[in-house]
Amino acid sequence: MARAANTPRRRYDPPKRGGVGKIYTSGKVDISFAGPEHRTYRVDLMIDGIEHGGPSYRGFVFLNNPKATDKTPRDLENGYAGVFDIFAHGGCMGDPGHCEVNETKREVYDFRNPNPLTPARKRVTVTATIREIAKKAKTATVTIVPVITAVNSLCETDDVFKCEELSFVAYN
Amino acid sequence: MADNRLRYGVHNLTDPQLKDLRAAYAGQQAISDNRGYQYLAGLHGVPGFWCWHHQGNARTAKHRQLFLPWHRAYLYHFEMGLRDRVGTTTLPWWDWTLRPPRQKGLPDAFAVAKVNGQPNPLASFKVNLPTTNPPVIGTTTRQPGDPSELPTQADVDETISRGDWVDFGMALEQLHDSVHGWVGGYMGQVPVAAFDPVFWAHHCMIDRIWWLWQVKNGNANIPADLLDVPLAPFNMKVRDVLNVNDLGYDYAAGGAKIAAGGVS
Repeated sequence: MARAANTPRRRYDPPKRGGVGKIYTSGKVDISFAGPEHRTYRVDLMIDGIEHGGPSYRGFVFLNNPKATDKTPRDLENGYAGVFDIFAHGGCMGDPGHCEVNETKREVYDFRNPNPLTPARKRVTVTATIREIAKKAKTATVTIVPVITAVNSLCETDDVFKCEELSFVAYN
Repeated sequence: MADNRLRYGVHNLTDPQLKDLRAAYAGQQAISDNRGYQYLAGLHGVPGFWCWHHQGNARTAKHRQLFLPWHRAYLYHFEMGLRDRVGTTTLPWWDWTLRPPRQKGLPDAFAVAKVNGQPNPLASFKVNLPTTNPPVIGTTTRQPGDPSELPTQADVDETISRGDWVDFGMALEQLHDSVHGWVGGYMGQVPVAAFDPVFWAHHCMIDRIWWLWQVKNGNANIPADLLDVPLAPFNMKVRDVLNVNDLGYDYAAGGAKIAAGGVS
């Protein structure tokens, strides 16, 4: 594989665990659908459009606990609702342009596979926690604490959790 | 099924089975052409990038949810390669739900650095990809987490209880992702994960859980438009990998040969 002349020489160093990324907290969201007057049996937090080109991480989800950190006990009392894991690419391992998804540029007759970095979707079932909160409150915040499981010098460690949309979906 | 080769749990492998497995891995790792370990591991991420993850979303339309079928085809090809080296061996599955005293985190078979004074081919692999950007040259590493953080049997049971294909697939992929992160090191990143020898045992567990789900739920709710999607670069479509018996294998907890002649 020839390398373009203007491609900077990089090195690959083994991935290591890497602390905590920027913690995300949403605004207040109406959760009245999970109140005791409803027959909801399951509520999922849907997270869409997650970038997974950077570090791998565990995303710990807390409801109504905007001060949550990686040290916060993961129990109902502290609003802990579940976890999702992002098995990520750890930075670009190719020449410039290799990790550009280019979804909008695809032709109708382009039968090649989608780019592996097409943004991901995760769902975290948060039923017990949201039900408990909904007994006393009509709204809740969502806090996600990204704890990095694998990172090296090819990727940034600050803004680890990036997504396009979060939503609750309730089933009855 | 008696005619099928059986994949056993790593924790139940007999000494001869483990010896065969190590010999098969060592044989694979010594081959540098397209039958060898580096070539096959390189199909997953760097340099091939054929694997499917995280595609359970509307952006990928017909190509959704290929994570399980693609990796079943991948394991099949890898196992065939192992059996070219040692005909009696099969891929074992790492049951990460086991807790002490039966197992503490990584199975010993894959964790010990040396066996009889020789490097354990199940513990690491020397990657040599000098022409990728960046070059990947070095021995695979791991950084395991706390064993109590591994998925539990209750997690597996809850996952299998999800009857809908997409719901089940996303839940199983979550367990899969969490174990990759738990092992850490090379296993923690998509482009290099398959170079770690424990990758195959981890995915064998994922494949087994899918099969347990299929035995319970059948294949009727797998979208029909998924069945003829090719699983490149393998010469298979989704429909070709739905039944593990048609691929010549089945899952068992353990087993041992008994001499037909007896002892008396």
